[in-house]
Amino acid sequence: MNIKYRLPLFFAFTLALAACSDDKPQNYTGMGGDNGGPLPGGSDQVNPGGDASGIPPGPRGNFNPDSADYQTLASDTIYFDFDKSTISGPERGKLDAVSQWFKANPGNALFLAGHADKRGTPEYNRALGERRALAVREYLVGLGLPAGMLYTNSYGSDRPAIDGDTEEAYAKNRRVEIGVIVQKAQ
Amino acid sequence: MNHCRTAVRLIFPSLLNLPVELTSIVKLFSNCLSLILLAGLLTTQLHGQGVTVEVSTLPRVGVSISGPLGEGVTEIVSNDLRRTGEISPVDSGSGDWQATGDASDAGVNGRLINKKTGADVFNQTFTGKGRLAAHEFADAITQAVTGLPGFASSRLGFIANPTGSKELYLADMDGYNARAITHDGTISASPDLNHDGTKITYTSYKSGYPDTYLIDLISGNRTRIAFFPGINTGPSFSPDGSLIALTLSKDGNPEIYTMTTDGGSLTRITRTRGSETSPSWSPTGDRLVYSSDDRGSPQLFISSSTSTTDGSDWDHLVTGNSYCTKPDWSPDGRWIAFTTRIGGQFQIGVFDVAARTAQLITTSGGQDPAWTRDSRHLVYSNNGRLHLLDTVSKISLPIETGISGAGEPTVSR
Repeated sequence: MNIKYRLPLFFAFTLALAACSDDKPQNYTGMGGDNGGPLPGGSDQVNPGGDASGIPPGPRGNFNPDSADYQTLASDTIYFDFDKSTISGPERGKLDAVSQWFKANPGNALFLAGHADKRGTPEYNRALGERRALAVREYLVGLGLPAGMLYTNSYGSDRPAIDGDTEEAYAKNRRVEIGVIVQKAQ
Repeated sequence: MNHCRTAVRLIFPSLLNLPVELTSIVKLFSNCLSLILLAGLLTTQLHGQGVTVEVSTLPRVGVSISGPLGEGVTEIVSNDLRRTGEISPVDSGSGDWQATGDASDAGVNGRLINKKTGADVFNQTFTGKGRLAAHEFADAITQAVTGLPGFASSRLGFIANPTGSKELYLADMDGYNARAITHDGTISASPDLNHDGTKITYTSYKSGYPDTYLIDLISGNRTRIAFFPGINTGPSFSPDGSLIALTLSKDGNPEIYTMTTDGGSLTRITRTRGSETSPSWSPTGDRLVYSSDDRGSPQLFISSSTSTTDGSDWDHLVTGNSYCTKPDWSPDGRWIAFTTRIGGQFQIGVFDVAARTAQLITTSGGQDPAWTRDSRHLVYSNNGRLHLLDTVSKISLPIETGISGAGEPTVSR
């Protein structure tokens, strides 16, 4: 796996380059570089304008996603409406707090883990969790956080916070958890 | 023989209601000269009285197999024939056809006789391992008697979570021989068998992230074939097995791409502001049906499987329901099964590609449908159990794999 050798290059990567990551299989002939514009900021929309695809996820980090510390910012977990990836007004305040914490605690990266409730087909839910994680990432970038320090993943409906078939359980499972990754000294 | 299937349903909403509503549901699976004379199934229902009378006129096949394993194979073959919904297995001697043979550890020597003509239809040896030989014999009988491919010898793949982690499983179509083929202790998801059942592609979080893998079921080799930033998920084999369609989010929100089975020749198919998921190929391989929530809620769309331009090539399938996901295109190309949400419940729907109409075919819940070879039956999941649904009779039977927490079925063709 080439994550290790990519590490020294990591901070040189910009989002514009993310679409050209060296993680791709051979004989790549698809569309690339179509998301290379400046990052949109300050919006809760996945697609604030122009480009049809939103901002892409950044490269994967050189750490095990399961090592993320979800306790420190547990009270800032962002919740969503059913089948929605839009960040509602009350939830945005939490992201302001996350932004302040991040700026006050240098040396950390954030891991944004998107989830969906169990209802519906697993594949659609995996995409929904991804949209939620990317929406939170985009909002935080809009607050001035560096995109390269914001990692994302989607677990779809496979890792519920609460088991059960109640509306209360569903509401707690439609979320983006914000994990802290302690970055090693460079 | 003509494969004509006619269901005539008489509905009397109430004995006090003077108008009698007569609804005819006619499904023609090939050229039918006469709807009534060749009726395969006649169902009369008296609503309000809870009385259902079914008169079956299916072809009757007597099954009687001798040899050391004869009794067991007779039972397997009879159950397989019954499961087709096209054949009525009967006691030996009373049918229109007679299946005989000899079953031993070496395989099944199977013979089918057309009792009207007295002629042997076939007389051959089936060598599949274990129960597979019996299933192969049943499929040969089904093909000979109905002209439709049997699915008893297909492989069934699914995801199950009996021990705390989602692993990939394989089983026979009747639920026997279920066994885990991954033991990764992580999330496995969205399996798809290739058409001859020799390979399976699926999503695994083995790396910590959702990547797409390919397993050669003969050699046991597993290869990671898509691992871009973001999600790499929902893979689907093209009919000839050379390409895989899947969802990637490497360029932003989740979109549909195709690539070769080694991850090469990546081609972007969709370009929207929404999420595209669960691609399924047309039987000719020229089109893909998938789910997109570009219009706010997930809907079904068809696009060319080779488009690389601006993503404007799409055809919206209007089903009348606002939440439609996980489409699966039937092997004969005529139907697209999908999951839909109605009144908070998830049900299976079937879209008629030519007529462009959709019909609900479950009422007790279901999701993630997968067609069998005959384009008539669907395997789907409901609350952690797998079921086999006859889309003509609407009869649904559980597939008893003995594995709990099962979902996301896939069937080889």
